[in-house]
Amino acid sequence: MSAAYGDRDVREIRDDPDRDEYRTLLTSRGLSVPEGSDLVLGLYEGERLAAAGSLVGNVIQGLATARETEGEGSAAVLVTALLKAAADRGLGRVAVFTKPPEAAVFEGLGFRRLAVAERPATGLGAALLEWGSPGIEDWKADLARRAEGRPRPSGVVVVNCNPFTRGHQALLEWAASESSWVHVLVVEEDRSLFPFPVRLDLVRKGTTHIRNLDVHPGGPYVISSATFPTYFTRPRPGSPDDAAAELHAALDLEVFRTHVAPVLGAVERFVGTEPYCPTTSTYNRLMREILPAPRPDSPALEIRELPRVERDGAAVSASRVRDLIRAGRFEEIRTLVPETTWDWLRSPGAAPVLERIRASDTRH
Amino acid sequence: MKAKKEAMAGSLESSDVLVTIRPREGEGVECTIESIVLKQYGRRIRSVTEEVAAAAGLSGAAVRVQDRGALECTLRARLETAIERSTAGT
Repeated sequence: MSAAYGDRDVREIRDDPDRDEYRTLLTSRGLSVPEGSDLVLGLYEGERLAAAGSLVGNVIQGLATARETEGEGSAAVLVTALLKAAADRGLGRVAVFTKPPEAAVFEGLGFRRLAVAERPATGLGAALLEWGSPGIEDWKADLARRAEGRPRPSGVVVVNCNPFTRGHQALLEWAASESSWVHVLVVEEDRSLFPFPVRLDLVRKGTTHIRNLDVHPGGPYVISSATFPTYFTRPRPGSPDDAAAELHAALDLEVFRTHVAPVLGAVERFVGTEPYCPTTSTYNRLMREILPAPRPDSPALEIRELPRVERDGAAVSASRVRDLIRAGRFEEIRTLVPETTWDWLRSPGAAPVLERIRASDTRH
Repeated sequence: MKAKKEAMAGSLESSDVLVTIRPREGEGVECTIESIVLKQYGRRIRSVTEEVAAAAGLSGAAVRVQDRGALECTLRARLETAIERSTAGT
């Protein structure tokens, strides 16, 4: 696509040497080229690249303007072009993930600020904003309707359940015994080996015996590619992306604290200890730091951590279930999952999912 | 004319306006106005938006106007274009 704006011209950046130029521009502004871009647009003044940015799903990333053209409105031109491209793809809502000092630029363009996270230890900071609809206020109104009439204060558990195990079940039973009402938010982003509808269904089926508990889809604001992109890529500890993972985890928790928890009247968040996955373990550490701190903008939450349930000397975890599927040791799964999950695993509908797991070596 | 699909016209550049129209349940037209000069011109922007929408017979639409200080003729042109795009046969 190409659109002219006076002597300026927006066009798609596909190949080298344009890609190289984009990389150079981002590097000069301390940014790196985003992974998995669906579209990269550049604003050219003559042959000179004045600004560029990418669309990754419905998230604007890697947006930068050349220093010489700052303040001439090139960001506005480029952001408009990215929003139109998103609309052409049927995306009514676009998020942007940027550095905190840049947040004001986007607010000036009609974006709403959702959260800001700063990590003094690494010097990193991030702001999350969104544009369009349905936006976070629509989502919060919907969640409030789902939680209407439920006792408050409540407790919240955020789970992925890939798939639902006896460990998850024990965590939810414990939360329900400690809290007057428990809201379970199931990560909705469909990037796990077990598809979201299956994960949600297995959580529902495995908790029918718990009276004071609701299971909700997590939506785009609870551990999603907008709030926590590195959750789905699981960077190695110590890698540069590891610092980014810490930043993203903090951002997700900020959104949770200021937007999600107040809607549900939550004062507690329940979590299982994480013995294996470094990303989740970082997330849990930040949870203990960010949620209980007293702050004027939102109520504090207490963190309640349950040690992982063990079977035969090893922690019951979803990743172990997936490993056993991969290893073909199907019968051993039986003691790790509730009857409801076990029944599903042996149903005809499970065959393609099991096949996909056997063929994969992803951590997720 | 019912809004059939999401459509945009204009831009977020200074002195321009970005109009976004998306289909909405029912017959009504819901207008959201944002402007850097909302205090001075907010009411005028809203009445122009409603007038252009009514003249075009627009229905079942959510219209979002993000004004960056556009002249009235610009606003009218952007609204007409966005309505045309949104209601055009697919």
